[in-house]
Amino acid sequence: MFQLFGSAIGQVVAVSIVIGAGLPALFAFGVRALAQGAGGSAEVSGEAGKPMMKIVAWITFAVVLAVIAIGLAIIISSGFGYKVSFEHIFPTFIKK
Amino acid sequence: MTLELLLLILVIGTAIAFDFTNGFHDTGNAMATSIATGALKPKTAVGLSAVLNLVGAFLSVEVALTVTNAVVRLQSSSGAPNPELLANNGHELLMIVFCGLIGGILWNLLTWLLGLPSSSSHALFGGLIGSTAAALGFSGVNWMGDGTKLDGVVGKVILPAFASPVVAALVATIGTWLVYKITTGVAERYAEGGFRWGQIGTASLVSLAHGTNDAQKTMGVITLALIAYGVQTDTTTVPLWVKFACAFAIAAGTYTGGWRIIRTLGKGLVEISAPQGMAAEASSAAVILTSSHLGFALSTTHVATGSILGSGLGKRGADVRWGVAMRMVLAWFITLPAAGLVGAVCFWLGNGIGGYAGVLIVFGALVALTFWMIAHSRKTAVHAGNVNDEWQPDATPGASVASDETIGAKA
Repeated sequence: MFQLFGSAIGQVVAVSIVIGAGLPALFAFGVRALAQGAGGSAEVSGEAGKPMMKIVAWITFAVVLAVIAIGLAIIISSGFGYKVSFEHIFPTFIKK
Repeated sequence: MTLELLLLILVIGTAIAFDFTNGFHDTGNAMATSIATGALKPKTAVGLSAVLNLVGAFLSVEVALTVTNAVVRLQSSSGAPNPELLANNGHELLMIVFCGLIGGILWNLLTWLLGLPSSSSHALFGGLIGSTAAALGFSGVNWMGDGTKLDGVVGKVILPAFASPVVAALVATIGTWLVYKITTGVAERYAEGGFRWGQIGTASLVSLAHGTNDAQKTMGVITLALIAYGVQTDTTTVPLWVKFACAFAIAAGTYTGGWRIIRTLGKGLVEISAPQGMAAEASSAAVILTSSHLGFALSTTHVATGSILGSGLGKRGADVRWGVAMRMVLAWFITLPAAGLVGAVCFWLGNGIGGYAGVLIVFGALVALTFWMIAHSRKTAVHAGNVNDEWQPDATPGASVASDETIGAKA
């Protein structure tokens, strides 16, 4: 029982750290890029904005949104008896 | 009306009432941080959370008919109730479920009155364990399952309860630390604005996940009662009206907003900022979704509390109010036995007196205690207007609002 629990919780810890801490970190990177793009009062240093960084920022936010969309797909599909498989890298729905 | 029909009606009513308390008890898990940082206005936050819980409840078409099997032995693994409990239109089974639900509701209301986020699923399980033990003895309780998989009170309730807050706290600590590290050099006000959006998104995910998990439990309990009484024979589907009733009950509960609990989670534990809030909700969403994807459900409450605590640990110079945290942990420890005791006492009382009188006395006690607690909460009301006020550690526990501000306040 304890072993079973240990291995299950171990997996939860591993995946949660990657997604649950990685996602805010990625979002933080986007916020920083956006601030560098805006420049001026957005940054502590008050430097002039670098417009290219805005593009980097929005790409980052798009990646964050995509990860959340996959999360949603997992919740919704499991409710309908499907699961999301990453076997082909691109997420696909398969019947449980 | 036969006694069993009366019992069935009362079981359905108390189950829906439990679902309602489940909703308002858990609003804070998803929305406390967004309310505390001002990312969402209090009313907007509970509204959003209610809608997402409603949607979530309908998304979970997976059958939850065997929900009680996690902790008690009332049903077979196919969902059919044990035949020996079915005499007299399922009188004994209905009585057990009825008393278990009462244990769950009363514990949920008491912890809400004290402003303590405790797990609604543990309250329900505790109540059922107590009433089952009172009716069938301790052998009616599924303590460990058969040992081949995570099952029973130990595998599905106690072990996850110890582990989940720690896991969530760890993830949120790392997340918060990374977020502050990465955004060094960004003006604080600018970062706050950005993270508020992230916070709303992740909090929404937590609300949706909550709806898919928690509404199901009540649906399973009501359907079990219908099967026991004999009006339903299908053990693979939940009737549509049950699904509607539970979905709307949990959403209505969520919209009511357990403001006392929201306040404890958003203001009491840690003074939270938007980056911390986003890290906390992202951690909660990730832990809840990963664990339920792997087939074992963690309590949303334990995860959310752990995450918020972690967001305080991960930020340099942030204060964590350990006194508040200890009160919560204490409440978690006694949730199962306390709800169990209420469930057991109700069963002894109802069954001992017997007949219509027994059932009505137990139900009367539930109603009376519910009104007493609601009336008591009004003395130091917490509501959308004062939920974000400065934390008053010395004021009434469970509200911690300055007393002069509560005069004339509406709940």
